[in-house]
Amino acid sequence: MMMMSTPSSTLTPPDVKPMQGVSVEKGFDTNDLVVNIGPQHPSTHGVLRLITTLNGEVVKDMEPVIGYLHRSKEKMAESRSLFQYQPTIDRVEYLSSFYDHLAFVNCVEKIAGLGVPKRVEYIRMITLELNRITSHLLWFGTFLLDLGASTPFFWAFRDREEVFTLFEKLTGARMMYNYYRFGGVNADLPSGWLNEVRKFIDDFPRRLDEYEAVATKNPIVLDRTIGQGILTKETCLQFGVTGPALRAAGYAADLRKTNPYSCYNEVEFEVPVATEADTYARYVVRVQEMRESLKIIRQCIDNIPGGDGGELGLLKAKVDEATKAKKKDPTIEVPAWNSDWDMFGKKINLLTYKPPAGEASVFVESPRGVLGCYMVTDGTPKAARVKWRGASFSNLSCLPALMKGHMYSDLMAIFGSLDVIMPEVDR
Amino acid sequence: MMMMVSEQTQASASLAGKTTTDVIKQSTNSLVVDGLKEITRGLLTVLKQHNTDPITLEYPEVMPELSDRFHGRLSLLSKSDGTDLCIGCQACARVCPCDDLIQIEMHRDADKKPVIDRFTIDLGRCIFCGNCTEVCPVDCIKFLPDFELADYSREALVLDKKDLTLNGEESDQWRKEHGLAVTVA
Ligand code: SF4
Ligand code: SF4
Repeated sequence: MMMMSTPSSTLTPPDVKPMQGVSVEKGFDTNDLVVNIGPQHPSTHGVLRLITTLNGEVVKDMEPVIGYLHRSKEKMAESRSLFQYQPTIDRVEYLSSFYDHLAFVNCVEKIAGLGVPKRVEYIRMITLELNRITSHLLWFGTFLLDLGASTPFFWAFRDREEVFTLFEKLTGARMMYNYYRFGGVNADLPSGWLNEVRKFIDDFPRRLDEYEAVATKNPIVLDRTIGQGILTKETCLQFGVTGPALRAAGYAADLRKTNPYSCYNEVEFEVPVATEADTYARYVVRVQEMRESLKIIRQCIDNIPGGDGGELGLLKAKVDEATKAKKKDPTIEVPAWNSDWDMFGKKINLLTYKPPAGEASVFVESPRGVLGCYMVTDGTPKAARVKWRGASFSNLSCLPALMKGHMYSDLMAIFGSLDVIMPEVDR
Repeated sequence: MMMMVSEQTQASASLAGKTTTDVIKQSTNSLVVDGLKEITRGLLTVLKQHNTDPITLEYPEVMPELSDRFHGRLSLLSKSDGTDLCIGCQACARVCPCDDLIQIEMHRDADKKPVIDRFTIDLGRCIFCGNCTEVCPVDCIKFLPDFELADYSREALVLDKKDLTLNGEESDQWRKEHGLAVTVA
């Protein structure tokens, strides 16, 4: 923190004795103080600078300064083929990058009219919801860390690590997955992976209960969050705030429910909503969302066409082998391979893939809110234009309105409750 | 955005018993007693963790178990007899998101067989995305489960063909572990 303008010295001169009728109030200058918070601040989750005008300890005005992490995500798309561009998407919203990939590949699928096999949709849904859990877990840990609790942070990271191990088995990377492909996914599930996921989701509710035991009704947490940072539905709609912040204001807007994509219309889940619109309501909504995600994953595992990866791969190998042998010796019987089971999607040559000219926009419900991708293609391997709508940008833009009149010490609690991630704001 | 909210959504949304007001209502009995109760509950939960095993590893004595899909150091597999498998098709260089990260120079010998003169990968700029490994038509460029890649200079991170190439046995071993046809001639 650095002071930008200090009021002129107003200390009472030593020879004037306050007792002799000099008002103490006069001794203090009530000029506003402009304080520069960040850009390097441990609680800004990235690089955010807030020019704050303080009156005493009360925030009078605030102006976020963004752009420190700008990496020209959109411009990069214009100089790379779609497949070349795809891995760079991971680096933007790195806490839940499956969502960015989903929006991106869905755009291409829409433009090219590529069908996506159901198995792929289910694999995507499992990874998406696991990703929502990791993202909310990180938020849970850091939010409570901002409030001064360090234990939940380690617990959240411990459990997040388990999901990352699962992701590593599936995609080869812990956070930069680059797993979805146009009309499919990079590789089928490894054998036994679904069982490991099931083990995790069976155990996770117990751990969520533990988290809640230390945090949800802790009087310190309640004191710092209830009634703080009230973000009403009207303000949300004015600023385009989406995601848990909007749902905490009593508006059940969840694209998975209202405009289902993937196979979200086939699973049952609820959209957690609170009406209080304060920091605590946002906390409650997110914790509840993790439980709903578990529900979705469980249904996906139960209903995924083709079941576990190993068996399916073996069967496919057998079918392929028999089909090959049949060409030489027509008496060989090919094992049954239901053709509706086109599980792996059409193999496309990524080296030369050119979607037809067209445009598409896709909106998905990321852990932070509505994430949009708009793409224009012109028949070349490159996209003519890619535009992203990140939830964090809009969610951050309401911060000045939200902070007015609050104490400075509540800033990080309220800012943390918005779950803004700076790389997504700056792109 | 079209955000039509169905009645059912609204109804399911009100998640009884999970709202702030409820929590406050529950707490109004006696803030102090409830507060102490909650803090004790939290502390007991924390205490329970003392019996659990640590999940951290004593690296480097204990190495993490990595999956066989792990994106680690890049390498070039060879044929089973140890000769070059790469055919110099440049596919890997073309899908790499970073310009000139993979540099390949090749010529064809008298029998029109490709000969790779130079093959460098600048690991300092590699983002381990896996695009190159996915498009290689002969399954030559692949990841190794090796993540200890730190070095003292950027130049040391530019691996040339000799650093990258695995010999025949290692390549066979790799193919065996990843379920590919083992002998490649
Ligand atoms: S892993 Fe990605 S960045 Fe690294 S060399 Fe391969 S394509 Fe390029
Ligand atoms: S894609 Fe494979 S065969 Fe082609 S140049 Fe790269 S490593 Fe060699």
